[in-house]
Amino acid sequence: MKKKKGTEKKLLTAALRTVLASILIASLFMIGACAPSNNASENNAGETGNGAASKPINVISREDGSGTRSAFVELFEVQKEGSDGKKIDATTLDAVITNSTSVMLTTVAGDPAAIGYISLGSMSNTVKALEINGVAATAENVKSGAYEIQRDFNIATMPNLSDAAQDFINFIMSKEGQKVIEDNNYIAADANASAFRSNNASGKVVVGGSSSVSPVMEKLVEAYASANPNVTIEIQTSDSSVGMSSTIEGVLEIGMASRALKDSELEKGLTPKTIAIDGLAVIVNNDNPVSGMSIEQVRGIFLGEIKNWADISA
Amino acid sequence: MIKKAIANTVLKERVAQAVFTAAACCCVLAVGLICFFLVVNGIPALAEIGVIKFLFGTVWQPSAGSFGIGYMIIGSLYVTAGAMVIGIPLGLLTALYLSRFATQRLGGALHRGIELLAGIPSVVFGFFGLVVIVPLIRQTMGGTGLSILAAAIILGVMILPTIITVSRAALDAVPENYYEGALALGARHERCVFRVILPAAASGIVASIVLGFGRAIGETMAVVMVVGNQVRLPSAITDGVRTLTANIILEMGYAADLHRGALIATALVLFVFIMAINVLFSLMKKRAGI
Repeated sequence: MKKKKGTEKKLLTAALRTVLASILIASLFMIGACAPSNNASENNAGETGNGAASKPINVISREDGSGTRSAFVELFEVQKEGSDGKKIDATTLDAVITNSTSVMLTTVAGDPAAIGYISLGSMSNTVKALEINGVAATAENVKSGAYEIQRDFNIATMPNLSDAAQDFINFIMSKEGQKVIEDNNYIAADANASAFRSNNASGKVVVGGSSSVSPVMEKLVEAYASANPNVTIEIQTSDSSVGMSSTIEGVLEIGMASRALKDSELEKGLTPKTIAIDGLAVIVNNDNPVSGMSIEQVRGIFLGEIKNWADISA
Repeated sequence: MIKKAIANTVLKERVAQAVFTAAACCCVLAVGLICFFLVVNGIPALAEIGVIKFLFGTVWQPSAGSFGIGYMIIGSLYVTAGAMVIGIPLGLLTALYLSRFATQRLGGALHRGIELLAGIPSVVFGFFGLVVIVPLIRQTMGGTGLSILAAAIILGVMILPTIITVSRAALDAVPENYYEGALALGARHERCVFRVILPAAASGIVASIVLGFGRAIGETMAVVMVVGNQVRLPSAITDGVRTLTANIILEMGYAADLHRGALIATALVLFVFIMAINVLFSLMKKRAGI
């Protein structure tokens, strides 16, 4: 009896081991299958071509309050009038909300039916930027004004600025500073700026605000470090609204905003300065056959009135 | 001379004790401060919005002044329930296997793997979900892929270590004579395990599930990346929703005034949820005696 139990137990453990092994192999296979299945889907999309044409549109937006979202909503008038006559954001409730540019890019790059928007400076070749009203979203067209979907990158300061902060702002607005901006695919605010001459101030300046502005601000800080090594600049990235309120409170000396300043912010004594111009690109998947839209079509999609790609191709 | 040495030792003892007490107090102080912060900042906003309107309201539009987290509570519960459906059977069977079936070598290797799983940062889980699970769901089931299902799968795997370790401890704690008694009555090994040991460890296993539930409902980073974050009532598991945690992390940076208060109140609701779960857990722990 005891012996029988022993063999039974052995059999059982052997069986369990086999099950476990097969699960392991199956999961390995599944992980391995993921990569080829991605390729397969791309091939399918390529073959069918217009296959995406009758798919529902997957709208991807940013979180409520993001500078990019408020600029987008204003430029395309994705708004409704509230009860008090004030225009409020009316982005469709079915829109997927991402909280960063990188998640937006990954999502649109992976979804053939997606549409989203990002700063033109963050554009990558994993997604396709749509022509708006027949104008391509390029730095040249933003510069010439032909591509109208653009916004200002602003910095804002309170009165009685320190010499060090003034010196850094002078650098940003100088020929050297504006070149850094152009080199990073944004449009310089002042094309005819003169060369930088430091006032030789020293000290520490804290700059903070919009996460859209801070990548180019980092490059400016790097370049400024060799122009005047006596000043250290610290960047705190948050968002436009926090940047403005912290500057008013005196926590920051220079605030960054990826949108125009609100009247309430100007009333509290902030002085804005445009340091660069950025285009907003409406992006779709590389496999999407649609290459351009009108402003009204984009507006309709983000309001939730146009729901299918078939309505766009037609 | 000896007296002096003793006095020295006593002094050292006292100092060490004071240090340890201070460390412990810091811990409790942190919890107390968080409680205080949530209540002081959340209650005024709750009062201004109205508790009923806040908890059962379905429109969340801060720019228009409506703050209703009803759909988010539902979203959180859906996602967590999905995670439990995936995590409980997997976790429980793994715990049973590790406790009663695995050979020492294989069990040790698995145990180490599970420990590793517990150490993976949640943002890595989220990223894995975004680039692997989400496209998989999109291709096989349609929609955007950013869905309750994606979040449930990610969370289901994330709560595995919690469920496995706690359940296993409960299973291991079952006295050996229960098993031997069952064997003596002629039951086979698996019958002993499933009919005798499993029921004996039930309260510990329920405690592990409660703990896993708490972990799932509080998870933020991994969820926000894969769940879509739409404030709406979902009609399918491939629809996206917004969870309470996602709402806080998405909008905290921008919020001011009442909007900020409403987010803190959201955190308060979440805190109450998790407190309730922890109380439940400690009650069960008492009953289970682990």
